[in-house]
Amino acid sequence: MKILSLLIFSSILLIAIAVSAGSSSGKILPYPIFQHQLDNGLNVVTVPFDSPGIAAFYIVVRVGSRNEVEKGLSGFAHFFEHMMFRGTDKYPKEKYSAILKSTGASANANTSIDRTIYHMTGNADKLDIMFELEADRFKKLNYSEHDFKTEAGAVKGEYTKNFASPYQRLYEASLNTAFDTHTYKHTTMGFFEDIVDMPNQYEYSRKFFGHYYRPEYSTIVVVGDVTPEKVNALAQKYFGDWERGNFKPDIPIEPKQTETRFTHLQDGSIPPVLNLNYKGPAFNDQEIDMPTLDVLSTILFSETSDLYKKLVIEEQKVRFIGGGAFDSRDPNLFSITASLVNKDDLQYVKDEIVKAIENVKANGVDEKILKETKSNLKYSFAMNIDNPDQIANSLCHYIELTGDPETINRLYAQYDKVSVDDIKNVANQYFVPTGLTIATISEDETGGVN
Amino acid sequence: MKTLITLLLLGGIMFAQEVVELKLPKSNKIVVKLMFRNGSICDPQGKEGLTYATANMITQGGTQEYTFSEIQDVIFPMAARYSSNVDKEVSIFTFEFHTDFVKDFYPILKGLMLTPAFAESDFTRVMKNQQNYVDQVIRASSDEEYSKKALEDLLFRGTDYQHMIEGKSASMAAITLDDIKAHYKKYFVKNNLMIGIAGNYSTDFLNMLKADMAKLPDATPTIPKPGKANMPDGINVEIVAKDGAFGSAIFTGLPLNLTRSNDEFAALMVANSYLGEHRKSYSKLYQEIRQKRSMNYGDYSYIEWYDNGGSNMLPPPGVPRSSNYFAIWIRPVQIAKQLKMQYDELSDVNIGHAHFALRMAIYELNKLVENGMTAEDFEATRTFLRSYIKLYVQTPERQLGYLMDSRFYGRKNYIQELDALLAKVTLQDVNNAIKKYWQTGNMYVTIVTDASEAEPLAESLRNNTPSPMSYSNLVKAGLPEDIIQKDEAVANYKLNVKNVKIVNSADTFQ
Repeated sequence: MKILSLLIFSSILLIAIAVSAGSSSGKILPYPIFQHQLDNGLNVVTVPFDSPGIAAFYIVVRVGSRNEVEKGLSGFAHFFEHMMFRGTDKYPKEKYSAILKSTGASANANTSIDRTIYHMTGNADKLDIMFELEADRFKKLNYSEHDFKTEAGAVKGEYTKNFASPYQRLYEASLNTAFDTHTYKHTTMGFFEDIVDMPNQYEYSRKFFGHYYRPEYSTIVVVGDVTPEKVNALAQKYFGDWERGNFKPDIPIEPKQTETRFTHLQDGSIPPVLNLNYKGPAFNDQEIDMPTLDVLSTILFSETSDLYKKLVIEEQKVRFIGGGAFDSRDPNLFSITASLVNKDDLQYVKDEIVKAIENVKANGVDEKILKETKSNLKYSFAMNIDNPDQIANSLCHYIELTGDPETINRLYAQYDKVSVDDIKNVANQYFVPTGLTIATISEDETGGVN
Repeated sequence: MKTLITLLLLGGIMFAQEVVELKLPKSNKIVVKLMFRNGSICDPQGKEGLTYATANMITQGGTQEYTFSEIQDVIFPMAARYSSNVDKEVSIFTFEFHTDFVKDFYPILKGLMLTPAFAESDFTRVMKNQQNYVDQVIRASSDEEYSKKALEDLLFRGTDYQHMIEGKSASMAAITLDDIKAHYKKYFVKNNLMIGIAGNYSTDFLNMLKADMAKLPDATPTIPKPGKANMPDGINVEIVAKDGAFGSAIFTGLPLNLTRSNDEFAALMVANSYLGEHRKSYSKLYQEIRQKRSMNYGDYSYIEWYDNGGSNMLPPPGVPRSSNYFAIWIRPVQIAKQLKMQYDELSDVNIGHAHFALRMAIYELNKLVENGMTAEDFEATRTFLRSYIKLYVQTPERQLGYLMDSRFYGRKNYIQELDALLAKVTLQDVNNAIKKYWQTGNMYVTIVTDASEAEPLAESLRNNTPSPMSYSNLVKAGLPEDIIQKDEAVANYKLNVKNVKIVNSADTFQ
């Protein structure tokens, strides 16, 4: 191995980074983001992109499992996403399906903790009918009580398919253990008993629609072979009369955790798993904490990290290790997961991870590695945005967090500013035993990790 | 074209360094794909999984110049990436890198392909993970993927298409590092390679790539003839019983002697899209099983291999096959144990929804075989497909992948040619293709389910016992008359079941 040549090589790389990744404007997204707000508060975002004849049309609604504050109604935001395909007076579900089919689009929806996304990607010249279909259901959704009760079965089917995986069951258990009062305590699917009870909640579903499916909660994002003028005109035409609401959910504040918590899943059907969850910050593009944690997680757990090299490559006690902070509106977890070869190493691997973290707390990180990590983050982004869907998804992710697509550019600008001191600070602030929840899977009755 | 197609289907035909180019001068990156015409069908008997292991040793190992970790250090700031994908008949290496780093990344690409280290320490790590996949992961992480792989095991039993690409529990231990070195020299060779390149690259770069790949071993391997799916006598069901399953995951299949090479594929594609387009609410199976009855999360049908259907919304390239089968995927439905726990009124059910769901799917297929499509459904589906297939190729990587797959099938540009075929296909063509290729009397079925469900379900299937749909009272109260009537017909619909076998999860993939 030619260490010297590699070092020289790396420094050459860094010069390239400074000039190439991102656009001449200094923004990570090399395309301008056009924003236009309708009078009713609906924000319309357009990004013209060279994808001849194709456009991605997304609507992000800032409602997710975070909003599920009422007891017994976990999983409702996701369930409601299903109901959005159950038709209106003008376009009953069969007609909706037939027209959607005629557009030739790839259309679907998905729900997460802080948002629900509806998307259609297809012919840019079918944008008019796409807008009409979406506006109709967003304004005038009208399903029968029977359809409501029936759809709950599909949600149960989704739970059934997902929970074949022990990893999913561990994820459910770790959230339930780490949180006491905040709605991040449950997964987006919801607690199973609440899913079984969903058919009884028809009345609530109408209320839910009235609360959240409103212009002030929503943003339209169109990326592709379009102009902002065209998109704005369509938005005005179809969504201009969408009535603004005034509902504000009262999301509980999570009390401070005071000691390490544990949860264990006894399952010998898969390799042992160690999952360390530290309480982290909320996403914020103005403060340095979250960008710093993103940088730090890449340094700590990527294939170039000392930890990876030791545990996965050299000792081969771990098959996989990864970690990172959840981007979310309220404080959430920084989660580290390792898949082990042998359950007897669970404690050892935990100790090694903590040792690596303690080392960062005391000594920070190498300046060169910090620079390389920033480069990695930028080039990863630049390489990925090669189609309208990818760009629309990225924008929706940041709209979900702050309501503003420009967050994407601000976040990457923050990455540039992260210093070794910042890294030491966040490591000391967030990686503490009193904020930790340890979740494990092994064939044993208990996890046996301290 | 027909002669070429016949030759390709005979097996043993190689690419001999064919080059597929896709110049995209505005792109900020370059994608290189190296497709070798050897997949898991080239695994020697007793060493199943060898091709997969060899490809992984290239992408998860070092080169003679750098260790794996050193490579990661070099490419990390570039965010360059590479991976391998092994399927039944091809192995593909994909490299993606930013145009800023062409000169810096290329030596890594070259080293990985021409001078892989095949180091002992990498071997232990790679094999441990592969062994774990065949021993545990496939059985434990997704019952849907499990039932799909179990179906292939049944359909192709006794052929080189039977075993999982990752191998079998027993064969993994037999693979040595020397086997991998020998397999690389025998199959990952210049006479077996198709080079694909997309993005913003120069002619000089392509010439360098071509010249270097010509330095791959010069062997001329004999590629085995791809195995064909077996035609079962009647409906043959294999129930995989495992502890702690939440539902019953179902896959059905029957041999299909048709691939993209044949123009008739477009006609059957229209029928298949109407019956069960992947992840689409417009299709018959979805509407009947999920939308009207909400028995599960979705129901789809396939006329060719669809890789990783649980994650992919659009069919990924890179898995061309000359042996096809028709398949129906019924996502997990409820089992009796769960229904009993959830609803007092269902406390006396013996089986869950698997038998009814299977009957419903075959009933719908049979209706289509008997009646064909209507002119209206045909037009709507054809129109949909002509737009939808363009979404298959939204990224440079996918465009390139589809172009390379086109060559495998003896075509130039499959998506373009398919559009032309769809434009001229008629309702009669579609209905003829349905009659020619589909039937409901002889099928394989695999069901991964909870141990508690296996025996009662097997009995019900064996005896063609009526299997009325067990709705909760809440849903039952509002069922429209047409659904009640159809349910009655489906619950009593006779399936040509000839054989039902229960296997323990631990005994699968032997």
